[in-house]
Amino acid sequence: MFWKMVTGALRRQKSKRLMVALTVGLGVSLATAMLGVMFDVGDKVNQELKTYGANLTVIPRGASLAGDKYRFEGETEDASAGAEDAENYLPEDELYKIKMIFWAFNVVDFAPFLATRLTVGEGPEAREVVFNGTWFNKTLELPTGDKVTTGVMPLKSWWRLEGEPGSDDHFDGVMVGRNLAAELGLGLGSVFTAKDASGARRSMLTRGIIESGGDEDDEIFGTLAFAQAAAGLPGLAQKVEVSALTTPENDLARRAAADPESLSRLEWDAWYCTAYISSIAYQIEEALPGTRVKPVWRVAESEGAIMQKTQLLIVLLTVLTLLCSALAISNLVTANIMERSVEIGLMKALGASNLAVSLLILAETLLVAFLGGFVGYLAGLGLARFIGISVFGSQVVVKTVVIPLAVLMVLLVTLLGSLPALQAILKLKPTEVLHGR
Amino acid sequence: MANIMEIQNVSKIYGPLKALQDVSLSVPPGQWLAIMGPSGSGKTTLMNIIGCLDTPSLGEVILDGVRLSSLKPGELTTIRREAIGLIFQQFHLVSYLTALENVMMAQFYHSLVDEGEAMEALERVGLSDRARHLPRQLSGGEQQRVCIARALINHPKLLLADEPTGNLDEINEKLVMDILHKLRGGGSTIVLVTHAPEVAAHADRVIVLEHGKLAEDRLNERGGDAGPLAAAGLAESEGEVGGAKMAS
Amino acid sequence: MGAKTALQGNRPFLFRMLASSLVRRRSRLLVALTGIAIGATVLLGLVTLCYDIPRQLSREFRSYGANLAFVPVGGALALDRGLLEKARAFLPQGELVGLTPFRYESVRSRMLPYTAVGTDFTEARKTSPFYRVEGAWPARPGEILVGGDVAERTGLGPGKTMPLDGRNSRRERYDQEFAVVGVVITGGVEDEFVFLSLSDMEAMTGEEGRVDLAEASLSAGKDELERIAGAIKAALPGVDARLVTQVTRSEETVLAKLTSLVYLVTAVVLTLTMICVATTMMTVVLERRREIGLKKALGADNRRVAREFLAEGLCLGIAGGLLGSALGLIFARVVSENVFGRALNPELFLIPLTVLVSALVTVVACLAPVRRAVDVEPALVLRGE
Repeated sequence: MFWKMVTGALRRQKSKRLMVALTVGLGVSLATAMLGVMFDVGDKVNQELKTYGANLTVIPRGASLAGDKYRFEGETEDASAGAEDAENYLPEDELYKIKMIFWAFNVVDFAPFLATRLTVGEGPEAREVVFNGTWFNKTLELPTGDKVTTGVMPLKSWWRLEGEPGSDDHFDGVMVGRNLAAELGLGLGSVFTAKDASGARRSMLTRGIIESGGDEDDEIFGTLAFAQAAAGLPGLAQKVEVSALTTPENDLARRAAADPESLSRLEWDAWYCTAYISSIAYQIEEALPGTRVKPVWRVAESEGAIMQKTQLLIVLLTVLTLLCSALAISNLVTANIMERSVEIGLMKALGASNLAVSLLILAETLLVAFLGGFVGYLAGLGLARFIGISVFGSQVVVKTVVIPLAVLMVLLVTLLGSLPALQAILKLKPTEVLHGR
Repeated sequence: MANIMEIQNVSKIYGPLKALQDVSLSVPPGQWLAIMGPSGSGKTTLMNIIGCLDTPSLGEVILDGVRLSSLKPGELTTIRREAIGLIFQQFHLVSYLTALENVMMAQFYHSLVDEGEAMEALERVGLSDRARHLPRQLSGGEQQRVCIARALINHPKLLLADEPTGNLDEINEKLVMDILHKLRGGGSTIVLVTHAPEVAAHADRVIVLEHGKLAEDRLNERGGDAGPLAAAGLAESEGEVGGAKMAS
Repeated sequence: MGAKTALQGNRPFLFRMLASSLVRRRSRLLVALTGIAIGATVLLGLVTLCYDIPRQLSREFRSYGANLAFVPVGGALALDRGLLEKARAFLPQGELVGLTPFRYESVRSRMLPYTAVGTDFTEARKTSPFYRVEGAWPARPGEILVGGDVAERTGLGPGKTMPLDGRNSRRERYDQEFAVVGVVITGGVEDEFVFLSLSDMEAMTGEEGRVDLAEASLSAGKDELERIAGAIKAALPGVDARLVTQVTRSEETVLAKLTSLVYLVTAVVLTLTMICVATTMMTVVLERRREIGLKKALGADNRRVAREFLAEGLCLGIAGGLLGSALGLIFARVVSENVFGRALNPELFLIPLTVLVSALVTVVACLAPVRRAVDVEPALVLRGE
């Protein structure tokens, strides 16, 4: 009989119940979408911030980052002059290990660099230019059997490229900086020659012209193999730039970065198993002994700050949205129950106890709410997907944890919205409600 | 004097259900007519049609010389406003307005509000001391008297009462019937729907509906006289009610 | 008596009825008002934030450092300090985060070569917030910062001293001892440098006025930066102003996405909230179908009944809109302070707009159920439940 009454009320007062279902549905769809976006926005923004380039630099222990780009008067000793000293270089064939660390999945991209000087032109016209050898579309085969393709272009998303990017299959194809190309009169497809350190002539084909707004505008980018041959450093690189997805730094990460020894065993595990920039750096150092991995704080720190702010913003928006939909739902449920004072008075007049009346009303309201909530959840999934695709061009994956949260919200909000109204109505005497109008 | 109301071969059909079938009836001014019949006999339908709250499927209603079928909905509203006073079984007072304001609302939709006149109307039903109360602070009888005051305020030619005592106890029923007697004494035309023979007994004329058809039409023996109760104690105030009405 | 006077005579009662409905139906009213106020809060809060967020986020992106660099043009080897001050006049003060000069000198310390950088520490902290300094930033003359790699190699750190010597362009020898107060770590070339204040460097070398490079950080988009750079290049022939493309281009992409994320979320939330407001209003009106029927039975025509209900809705909409505006401003302020650590300047014209939208949504939401109730024959509504 109880259920007959519940379903009977549902069937007969369709439009009013529909309103509750609709509001709950809207609330839940909002909540689902916002929670979905909230849980995923960190990853998405992180991915976006990769456009700022590498956030880690791998260099041999003992080498200096300044390299020979920052030579000033009185400092003619060239780092690359000590070509024989393999201690100052990284072996190219071990770099795949960067993709084998604990947080390998977070390493978005990496590329090695080897800079060497070439002399262009003859006699008094001769000038030195920097030639950077790197990877463009290097496919690495990992011992696990996986294949990974990596290269320099994703690391330098702010470059404007005219023509084609370099290719690892094209030994002497190069990309020339805009200023240099203008100076040497090079266009796409131009072939030019230069002398390397040993005095040998090497010819190159201009495949692309890059504009970076920085020093690269005066340099040449070619294959690593070409640079190795020109510098006489087979199989070696000077540094590796790594772009990795990281978790914003917190106290633990800062303490670990200062002194990993100061952490307790448990803290150390927590640090090692979180994608802090310092722990990723530490793991790369483990994988490539004899190297130093330096976080590029300009990128890493800003990343952390922006990610945190964005996440906080979305969290606040989500909380607000949840609050508002909760209020709206309980508001409507209250209105809906208050409207039924006559019905409730009648039930009490017929001898129903307060408990029985409450149960009936609650069961009915909850049933409607859950029907609405279910539809709302599906709509929310769609909304989250829509937001993800239209903003980031990739789907927002709604985590499963959202389901219990949404269910809990419907349950709690509906109950909380129902109780005050129920209490107020139960206080009324049946005669008052039935006669009074 | 022409009949105040003329019903000619009226039928009302809701899908397969024939609520009214070919009912004809004429009511002269000043008559107190009671419509009786069991539940579902069509008496409320007939009353709604008379009250311009509903339109007949077939047939014609002539109210105060106006053929209703020739009217547009807006004009029908005007007739309802000008000619008819409604008394409901469930009173239908606006819950957030005081007794006085409920009466004034009828003035508001009719023409002009006049608080003094509204107060007089409440006085006539004996509620001047309850004028500032909200409906929920009034008893059922008091609410019904407010409803009557509201129906009377615009001096309707025809007073329609749908089971006015249906929700009332005996004492309040008597009070309400006394007021109706006074009104009839003042010359008002009253149509009263009821299923209770003892209520119908107050009227001058009783018609009985059965299955949507007119089954009986008789004049009460006392027809034309003041009702038994009115004759006893209320004769003196009778003129007052009627007088106020007639004067305006 | 004309219709006009009748209307005027009745007006006080109309207000009386309206007031009674608003006052005596407090609890129901509260339901409607809450609904509308929630809608208005979300509306004003989010729209205010949307207005402010691109600006706030752009400020946040200044943590990536300078986005405009001044370098000597043509054959000139250095910028003149006076020229730099002239260039500063071209930078909009409201958007300027900082302008930092840099001067590079090759120096030696204990026989080893270093690059010494003379700069303005107060400005450098603003333009390069990513500098990590262990110890303290120099505050007094004679205090310096050393790069992380330098510190690691030499064991220098806060509390130690570092002698510097070299020759200036007139080949005159100089030497001076400095107090190291901090170690700066950036993960970039700065780790190899020694930083001292520009005035210290000028005093030490006996050469004034020279600047090799200057960096400005402006919270402005790429287009504005290009405009500023163009103006400076045109007016000051000795200076080349360049956009730091890594920062400006990346900011353009990321900021656009973040902004569109916030806009989209706002649009979705707003739409749904407005629907919620509408359903609440509909429920509130549906409840009063009997009253509508009664008014019709008393002789009110459809338009009159509808007008009264809409007037009530309008009152509610305006009241809810005002209440929500106040709450919305508080909300926007709380979010802005918590997320960006800055107070926001509210756009006041949004308040009347919010009230207008609230009133509109409320009235439109009333319209459908009122029209439906008005169209129903009063007899159907009045016939009991």
